[in-house]
Amino acid sequence: MTIATLTKPWQAFSYGFLDASAKRELRRKMLKAIAVPGCQMPYASREVPMARGWGTGGLQVTLTLLKPSSVVKVIDQGADDSVNAASIRSFLSKVSGAAETWDTLAATLIQSRHRIPEERLRADQVLVLQVPNPEPLRPVEPNMSVARQMHADADYGRLWLILYEQIVRSGRIMQGASYPALVNGRHVMTPSPIPRWDLPKLHMAQHLTFLSAGREKRLYAVPPFTRVEPLVFSDVPYKVEDHAALTCHRSGVAGYFMNEIPQDGGGSVFELSDSHLGIKAIRRRDGEDVALGATWYENGKMPR
Amino acid sequence: MTQLAAVPVPDAFEIRTNATFEALMLALSRPGSAHSLPAPGMAGLAETLLDRECQVFCDDPALAEICAGFGAALVPAARADHLFLSLDTPEGLALLEQAPVGSALYPDAGATVIASARLGAGQRLRLTGPGIETFTDIELGDLAPGLWPLRAARCRYPAGFDLFLICEGRVIGLPRSTTIEVL
Amino acid sequence: MAYVATRGGERAIEQSERLYRAELGRIDAARVTAVRQTLPMLIDRVMGEASLYEPDLAALALAQSGGDLYEAVLLLRAWRTTQPRLGIAEPVEQEQLVTHRRISAAFKDIPGGQILGPSLDYSHRLLATGVLQGHPFEPRPVEPAATPAPARQPSLAAWQKAQGLVADPPRAEVAPDDIPDLTREPLLFPAARAHTLQSLARADTGGMLALGYSAMRGYGNAHPTVNELRLAEAELRVRHPRGTVFSAGRVKVSQAEVMAKGKSGLLELGFCATLGWNEVKVISGATLDLNAPGAAKGSPVEEEFFLYHTEPVEASGFCIHFKLPHYVTFQSSLDALRGARGAAAPIPEQAPEPEEVTA
Repeated sequence: MTIATLTKPWQAFSYGFLDASAKRELRRKMLKAIAVPGCQMPYASREVPMARGWGTGGLQVTLTLLKPSSVVKVIDQGADDSVNAASIRSFLSKVSGAAETWDTLAATLIQSRHRIPEERLRADQVLVLQVPNPEPLRPVEPNMSVARQMHADADYGRLWLILYEQIVRSGRIMQGASYPALVNGRHVMTPSPIPRWDLPKLHMAQHLTFLSAGREKRLYAVPPFTRVEPLVFSDVPYKVEDHAALTCHRSGVAGYFMNEIPQDGGGSVFELSDSHLGIKAIRRRDGEDVALGATWYENGKMPR
Repeated sequence: MTQLAAVPVPDAFEIRTNATFEALMLALSRPGSAHSLPAPGMAGLAETLLDRECQVFCDDPALAEICAGFGAALVPAARADHLFLSLDTPEGLALLEQAPVGSALYPDAGATVIASARLGAGQRLRLTGPGIETFTDIELGDLAPGLWPLRAARCRYPAGFDLFLICEGRVIGLPRSTTIEVL
Repeated sequence: MAYVATRGGERAIEQSERLYRAELGRIDAARVTAVRQTLPMLIDRVMGEASLYEPDLAALALAQSGGDLYEAVLLLRAWRTTQPRLGIAEPVEQEQLVTHRRISAAFKDIPGGQILGPSLDYSHRLLATGVLQGHPFEPRPVEPAATPAPARQPSLAAWQKAQGLVADPPRAEVAPDDIPDLTREPLLFPAARAHTLQSLARADTGGMLALGYSAMRGYGNAHPTVNELRLAEAELRVRHPRGTVFSAGRVKVSQAEVMAKGKSGLLELGFCATLGWNEVKVISGATLDLNAPGAAKGSPVEEEFFLYHTEPVEASGFCIHFKLPHYVTFQSSLDALRGARGAAAPIPEQAPEPEEVTA
C-alpha cells in the first residue's frame, strides 16, 4: 500500500461540491430530522463557497439532494431574480449540471429564503427553507443548552407567555414572520422567517420540507401530512397578514401575499411577492398559453 | 472568479448513493410506502450512510466487513448508531432490544435499524402518524412476532429507533413517529 | 406593463463582482508570492482562522479578497471542505516543539531558559516614514548568541506538576483517529475538550481578543499570569500505510498557558494553541479557557458564549447577511403593527381590475 492508494485523482470539486463524507453526514441527519418532525438535529455544517447567513444551510441540503435530472428553483423574498437567489441558483446548476427554473410547477427542488410559493407543492417536490435562527426559544432563552432542555421537557410556557403579553399590551399577537408552530404535537419549531401567510401551507402538506441553518448548524424537517399548528389561544385565532384584499398593480392578481411599494407623495402600491406567479399571470393575460398551478389560497382564503 | 470545469458529471458511486438516499428519504417521509433501491440488499445503504464518524453493529460478518471498509467502527449493539439486524429470529430481537433510542434531550441519538423483511405478505399492520394522511395498511412478513410490541415499548417519542425494512430491491421506512397497530 | 422579464439580479451580481475585482486588478503568481513573503504574520493569522496550513493558498486568498480577512478565511475554509482527509498526524508534545520563542511571566527564569526570540515587544513603534522618501528600511543583521538556545525546551507545567503546584489529572489516551473533529461533528455543550481546543484554534483573533480582554478587565474571575508562551515549529509526523512514522514537514504553531490560583489551592491552567504565530490570539484564548469552568450562563467567559461568538466565518457571515433584503419579514411586522393600531393597510388608488389566479 502507498499513500497514493489512499487518495484519489485530484479533482477541483466533487460532484455537487460537497464530498462523499459531507453528504453522508447530511443524509444521516436528514433522516433523523424526518423521523422526529420539527426537532432540530445538529450537524457539522461544512463551509461552502458562500458566507454564513446567506443560505449555506439550505445549500448543503440542496447539494446533497441534487442530481443531473433535478430542476432547481431558488427564491429570496419570493423572487427568483433577487440577487442572492440568482447567485445560489447559478452555483447549484454549475456544480451539478441540474436545470434551473423560475416556475414552481417545473421545479423538483425549491430552495427558498423567507417564502413558500403560492402554487401548491406536490408530493414529488422537496422544499428547502434557509433558516437564520433555528431556535424558536431564542427570544426567551438565548442559551442553546438551556433551550435544548426546554425542548426535551416540552417546556414551552415562556413562549406562550410572550404571546399572551403581546395580546395584553397590543390587543393582538405581534409576532410577524417566524411564527412558532407545534409540529406533530410535540416540538415547537420556527418555520424560518416566512410570513404568517405561509405557515398554514406546511400543515398536512403533500410535500416534504427541510429547514436548515448552516451557521447555527441545525436542520429539521416537516414531512408530508404532518400537523403544523401555530401557537394560538383558543379565543384568539391565528391571523395571517391582511393581504387577501390587496391587488398586484402589475399583474392585477389579488388574494396573495404582497410586497408594499411606498409611493412618492404618500400611499403605496402592491405587487405579488411570488414574482414568477406574477410573471405567469401577466403572460397569460397577454394571451400566452401559460399554466398556473393550483394555489394554496383561493380568493385570499386558505380552504380547510 | 472561481473557474469550474465544464458541466460536472456524477460518477457511478455518486449516482448510486444519491438514488439510494432518495429512496430512504422518501420511504421515511411516507411510512409504509415502498421505494426502489438502485441495487438490492443492504450494502448500498452502508455506502450511502456510513463513514468514520459512525458506530455500527452488524450481525452478518460479511456486511460488517463492508461497513468497516467505509471507516465505521464496529461496536456492540448497545453502542451502535446504525444496526444491521436479522429480525426474523429471537436473537435479532434481543439485539434490537439493546439498540440506542436516544432521549428527549438527544432524539438524534436514536439508532437507525436496517433489516430484511417480506413486503406485501404476512402480519397486517395499520400505520398512522406523520407522512400518512389518514392511515396506511401494510403487510410485513419474515419478522419475529415480538417485534411490534418491542418497538412500541422502546420507542417513546421523541426517543426511539428508526427502521428500514428491505425486501430485495425495495425499501420501506418506519420512523419512530409512526404509530403501528397490529391488525 | 411587463413584470421583471429581465434577469436583473444575475446581471447586477455579475457587474458588482467585476467592479470589486477591477479595483484589485490582475492577480498573478508574483503578487501571491509578494503577499506571502511580505506579510507572514497576516498569513499566519489567516491560516489559523481557516484551520488550513498552506501559506501559498493563504496568500492567494488574501490577494483574491484584496485583504478582506473574513473573505480570505471563508475562501480557505470552503476550499478546505473539498479536500480529502489522507491521514491524522501523530500528537506533538511540547518538549518536541522546535521553539523559537518561549517566555514565562511566572518566574524570573525557568528550566530551559527564557528565550525572547523574534518579537516587536520592545521595539519603539516609530513609523519609518523615510521609506516613503526613498530611504529603504534595512533591518540590521541579527548577531547570533555565543551559545544558541537549545531547539527543544521542557514544559514548565510539567515542572509545576512535579512540584504538586498544578493538578495532574490522569491522561486519557485517545487514538489519533478517535479524536473528535469539529469540522465533521457539530459543537454541542458541554463541549468535548478536543472541540473546545479546535474551536479556539480557529477562532477570530479580534473576537477572541475582545472577549479575552473583557475577562482580563474583570468579567472573568481569574486574573491570568502567562505561565508559558511559545512560538514554535511542530513536526508533522504521519504514519505511512506500512506503519513507519515519518515527518512530512513542519508547521508554525503558537501556544499559551495562562494560570491563576484555583479554589482547590492548586494552580489552574488555561490553554490555547493555534496554527501560525499569533500571540494575542493564544493569550486571549487561554484566558477564556482558564475562566470557563463554572462561568455563569451568558457571561463572556462561558464556553458556549465565547466559542459561538468568536467563530469568524459564522459571525462575519451573519453580520453581512443583514444586507440581504428582509422586506417579507418587515411586511409581516408592519401588518401586525397596523393591525394593533386598528388601521388596515392602505389600499392603493386606481388599482387595476383584479384577475383571478386560481387554476
